[in-house]
Amino acid sequence: MTINHYIFLSVALFCIGIVGVLTRRNAIVIFMSVELMLNAVNILLVAFSKMHYLAAKIINPATQAGIEGQLFVFFIMVVAAAEVSVGLAIIVMMYRNIHSVDVNFLNRLKH
Amino acid sequence: MGITQILFWFLTALVLGSALMVIFSKNPVHSVLWLIVTFFCISGHYILLNAQFLAIVNVIVYAGAIMVLFLFVVMLMNLNAETEPQKNKWLKFAGAIAGSCLLLVLVAALKDTDAMRQEVLMKTGDIGLIHNLGMVLFRDYLLPFEISSVLFLSAMVGTVVIGKKGD
Amino acid sequence: MIHYFILQAGPVSSVSDTNNSFNYFPIAIQLIFAIAFVAIMMGVTHWLGPKRATEEKLENFESGIEIRGNARQPMAVKYFLVAILFVLFDVEVIFFYPYAVNFRELGWEGFMAVLMFVGFFLAGFYYIFKKGALNWED
Repeated sequence: MTINHYIFLSVALFCIGIVGVLTRRNAIVIFMSVELMLNAVNILLVAFSKMHYLAAKIINPATQAGIEGQLFVFFIMVVAAAEVSVGLAIIVMMYRNIHSVDVNFLNRLKH
Repeated sequence: MGITQILFWFLTALVLGSALMVIFSKNPVHSVLWLIVTFFCISGHYILLNAQFLAIVNVIVYAGAIMVLFLFVVMLMNLNAETEPQKNKWLKFAGAIAGSCLLLVLVAALKDTDAMRQEVLMKTGDIGLIHNLGMVLFRDYLLPFEISSVLFLSAMVGTVVIGKKGD
Repeated sequence: MIHYFILQAGPVSSVSDTNNSFNYFPIAIQLIFAIAFVAIMMGVTHWLGPKRATEEKLENFESGIEIRGNARQPMAVKYFLVAILFVLFDVEVIFFYPYAVNFRELGWEGFMAVLMFVGFFLAGFYYIFKKGALNWED
């Protein structure tokens, strides 16, 4: 497969995530859409790492070019897990205070 | 069309379809279930690129995290009532339009660039294996590794401070 | 010669082709079988079983006593701290797999690095424990 297949796949996934964030009002579903966007970027990083590996492998068969891309994906996943834990704690606080997870009720700053 | 191409298109269709179901399901429980399907298909993509370690990490981390999300949905939602009282239908419409405009702009901008025809190495290649990734992680990226443990310490403290009731 | 028997990888010739995506073929077969088994069983029971939808049959069975209340009550929110902290310690395990594979090559230097990592996590665990975040009774 060429790289443009992967680019268009991750662009489509990212836009689905954006539509989810913009249209849904449920805080948990918004959170899931953010996870979808993160995963779109991850797919793209892995695809680019394999593309650079192929280009470098022709010159030197024992190369490890592109391995950083996969390591970045690993760190993104790990940081995403920390982000999920703090974000869910915030959602639970929101539920305790307003007894709902609808972000439309978070409009105190307007009044 | 080889078996790799067939698998790629099959997994792509599954990823995009289940991602659409995540955001368009009325019931948040269905959204969580479709999200799990999406993550498993993304793991399939990683296996197709021979990024085996990332595929397994994706399953373990996101299966754990998403199961917790699922627990939250069950705990927090009032499943009897219709959730999401829609206030503004036009706002929803505008969001969908904005997202598809972004998709249109990105596709139109990237469609004719030169570097797009480069091949991606499928199925083989040793850089995705756990041995090579581990060597690079513990030799060259030792400092980010330690910093991530500090990040986790702060995440634990933050979770307890935000989430603990009282005191 | 057939190298792949059912759900069992056959002998491989050299090191270079031990680790490719084709190794996951048995796992894919297993997944397909699992999904197909569940789908066929559900479909067949739906199709073959008799359906006599009387009012007493559609009623929820609660060990013979009268139905009281609704099953879909929101659960206690206090369980959530345990669940969130599970995610954090789940991710900690992910870092150990690359270390375990490279255990001998990394030597004492890698061991010290992992010890420091675990030390930070244990400090966090001590904090959680002292704060009483895992206590079930308030």
